Amino acid sequence: MNSVANKLLSPILLIAGAAMVIISLIMDFAGSGSSLRGPMLVIGILVFFAGLYLFPTQKHHRKIVYVIFLFPLLFTFAVTVIIPLVLGICYSFTDWTGIRFNSVVGLTNYMTMFKDPAFIWSILITFIFVVLNMVLINLVGFLLALLCTSGIKGGGFFRASYFLPNLIGGIVLGYIWQFVFNNVIIDMTDNISWLARSKTALFAIVVVYIWQYAGYIMLIYITGLTQIPGDVLEAAKIDGANPAQTLFKVKIPMIASTITICTFLTLTSAFKQFDVNMALTNGAGSVANFMGNYLSNGTQMLALNIYNTAISKNNYALGQAKAVFFFIILAVVSLIQVRVSNKKEVEL
Amino acid sequence: MKKKVFAIMLAAATVCATLSACAGTAAPAAPAADASTEAAAPAETPEGGIRLVNNKVEVDEGLKKLAKAYEEKTGVPVVIESLGGGIDTQATLKGYYQADNMPDIFVFEGDIHYPTWEGLLADLSDEAWVNDTEAEYVRDGKVYGFPTTTEAIGLAYNADILAKAGVDPKSITGPESMRKAFETIDAKKDELGLTSVLGYYTESSQLWWSPGQHVFGTYFDSGLARDDTTYIDLFKDGGKLDMDRATPWSEMVALFNEYTDPAGVSGTYDAQVLGFASGKYAFVTQGSWIGATLMNDDKEAYDAAGHFEIGMIPYAFIEGQDTILTNSPNWWGVYKDGNVEEAKKFLAWCAADDGGQEILAKDCGFISPYASNTHAPDDPFAKTIAEYTAAGTTSSWHWLSMKAGIGQNATGVVFQDYAMGNFPDAKTFLDTLQQVCTNYYAN
Repeated sequence: MNSVANKLLSPILLIAGAAMVIISLIMDFAGSGSSLRGPMLVIGILVFFAGLYLFPTQKHHRKIVYVIFLFPLLFTFAVTVIIPLVLGICYSFTDWTGIRFNSVVGLTNYMTMFKDPAFIWSILITFIFVVLNMVLINLVGFLLALLCTSGIKGGGFFRASYFLPNLIGGIVLGYIWQFVFNNVIIDMTDNISWLARSKTALFAIVVVYIWQYAGYIMLIYITGLTQIPGDVLEAAKIDGANPAQTLFKVKIPMIASTITICTFLTLTSAFKQFDVNMALTNGAGSVANFMGNYLSNGTQMLALNIYNTAISKNNYALGQAKAVFFFIILAVVSLIQVRVSNKKEVEL
Repeated sequence: MKKKVFAIMLAAATVCATLSACAGTAAPAAPAADASTEAAAPAETPEGGIRLVNNKVEVDEGLKKLAKAYEEKTGVPVVIESLGGGIDTQATLKGYYQADNMPDIFVFEGDIHYPTWEGLLADLSDEAWVNDTEAEYVRDGKVYGFPTTTEAIGLAYNADILAKAGVDPKSITGPESMRKAFETIDAKKDELGLTSVLGYYTESSQLWWSPGQHVFGTYFDSGLARDDTTYIDLFKDGGKLDMDRATPWSEMVALFNEYTDPAGVSGTYDAQVLGFASGKYAFVTQGSWIGATLMNDDKEAYDAAGHFEIGMIPYAFIEGQDTILTNSPNWWGVYKDGNVEEAKKFLAWCAADDGGQEILAKDCGFISPYASNTHAPDDPFAKTIAEYTAAGTTSSWHWLSMKAGIGQNATGVVFQDYAMGNFPDAKTFLDTLQQVCTNYYAN
C-alpha cells in the first residue's frame, strides 16, 4: 500500500520540483522582477528532494540520503566559492569593467601585469614581508609564550593583554598606529614620520602586524607548551639540565608540530595582508629607482595592489587577472603546507 | 533515537541557514534611514518613487530634508542613500548593478566614470535646467549629468592676516608677486602668530587627492578658458606634460615647499584645515569645500581666530593668470532603466528656484551652479566664488579627465617626495612626475 503510494508520489514530486527550479531559473535569467522566483526556487529544491527521498528503491536509499544531507553545504559552497572562482578566472581573460565586457582579450591582462614594474615591486615586497613576519612573529610569539608559562606573577593578565590587539580589527588598528607614527613618535624620527618613507613605512607595517598577530600565535604556543608531559620536564630537571638545555633539547622538539602549524599560519596570513597595509599607508611611498622606474607604490603589497587595480584604477579585468595569480601562489603555499604537516604527523 | 533527532535538527538548522541566505534578496530592505548610515543593507526603491545614491555623507541630512520636502509637495517618495566613509561609491554601484538593484539617480564623477556607465545613463538634453547652467555633464553632444554644486580650487587666504601684513591679495598676479607676498608675510611670521606662510599638505596615503589632483590640476587649467582642453588632450595622449607650461608650474610647487609647514608631509586633512581655521597659516592649498568644515567641525577654532574673512587667489604660476578653477565636482546621472520620468521631475524641481534650491543651499551648503538661483549658502567662500563667476574669470576642472586613480596611485607620492626634500630641484621633480605619468598611462 505504502510503496504503491510512494511509486506514484515520488515521480510527481521529482518532476514538480525540477519544473519549479527550472522555471525560477529561467525567470531569473530572463530578468523578471517577480519576487516569487526566490521562494519558488527554494520550494522547488525541497519538493525535488522530498521526491528523491521517497524514491522506491532499497539499494540506493542510503546514497540518496547522503546526497540530501550534503546538498545544503555543497550548494552554499558552490554559490559562494566555486561559481565566483570560475567566473573570476573567466573574467580575467576579458576586458570586464565590473558592469559588462565587450571582448575576450586572451592573455593580454596577464602580459600587462608582468610588464608593470609596480606589480613586480608589490610581489617582491610581499615576499620580503612574508619572510620577515614568519620569522619575527614566531619568535616574538614563542618568547611571549615562554614568558606566560614561566609561572610569572599575573601570567593570565599578560596572556590576555598580549592577545588583545588581535581582537581589534586591522583597519582600526592601522588608523591608531598611523596616529602614533605621525603624531606621537615623530619627534624621535627627525620630524619625518616613519610612514612617509617607503623603507621605514614597510618596517612600520611589520611592527604593527607583529603587534597584532604575535598574541594569537602566542596562544597556540602556550597550548603546545602546556601539553608537554610534566614527567619529561621533571626527568630533565633530575638529570641536571639547565633551563637553556631544557628549552632546546626538550621543549622545542616536543612542540615541533606546533611550530609547523604556526609557521604556516603566519605564512598564509602574511601573504593575505591587506587591512593594516591599507589603513597605515594605503600603499603609498616612493621608490627612487626600481628597474629603471620611479614607483609611487612603495608599500603596496599584493592584496592591496589587486584591490587598487580594480577599484581605484577602475580596471576590474586586470585586477581579476592579478587575483588569479595571487590565488595560484596561495594554493601552492597551502598544498606545501598540507604535505609538510602530514609528514610531521607521521613522524610523531 | 536521540542521535536521529539531533541529526534532523542539525540538518534543519543548515537548511534554514541556506534558505535565509537565499531569501536575503527577496526580503524587504531595512528602512531607508538606517540603510543610509549603515550602508550595509542597500535601500530599495519605494513604489512609484525614486532612490538617489549620494556620495557625500556630510550632506546626507540636508538631502533627506530635500526628499521630504519633495514628497510633501508631490507625493512622490524619494529615498536618499548616502555612501561614504571609506566606501568606494562606484564599486558599490557596480555591485548594485550586478544585483539588479540600481538606484534611479546616482552620483558619478564625469569622464573617469562615464565609460563604466556608457549606455546606461538617460539623456537629459531636453530638460529645462540645462539652459540655466553651464556646469552640466555633456558627452558626445548629449547631457547626462545634473550639476549639484560648485566647488572652487584656488589658493585660499586669510584676509585678516594679509591685511595685517600689508599684502594686497589683488597684487598677486604671477610668480614674482606671489614670492614677494610670501616673503613679506614670512618676515612678519612671529608677530602675526603664524606657524608658516602656507599650509601645503602632501601626505600621500590619505591626502593624495589634494596635491596629486588639485595642485596638479592647476597645471591643466589655470588662466585658461573653460573650454580650453589643450593640456589635458596632450596629457591623455600617454601622460605627456607640456614643459613650457609645466616648468613655471613646478617652480610654484618649489615655492610652496619653501614656505610651507614641514608637518604637511605627514599631516592629515583635518590638521591642515584646522591650522588654517585657527589662523596658523596665511594661505592653504585647499578649495572652497573647507568652508563647510570651518563653519561646522572647526567652528570653535575659526571663531577663536576672529572669524576672519576668506578669499581666494588664482594659482598664478605664469604672470597674468587670473582664474580660479570652478566646477561641479560630480554629477547626478539618471539610470535609464529606472523611474526616469519621476527622476527627471525631481531634478527639475531641485534646479528650480522656487523648489529645492533653497534647501540645497541652506542645508547642504551647495553653491548653486544655476543662474536663476537666488539662494546663497552661509559659506565663507560663497562671496569669492560669486565674484569670480561674475567677472568671468573661472576655468574648468579638466583634471577630472585624467586616467582613473592617477592621483592615488601615481602622482600624489611625487609631491610628498619633493616636499621631503628628496629631489634636488624643481626640474628633477618635474622629470619624475613626467615619468610617473607616462608609466601610469602605459600600464
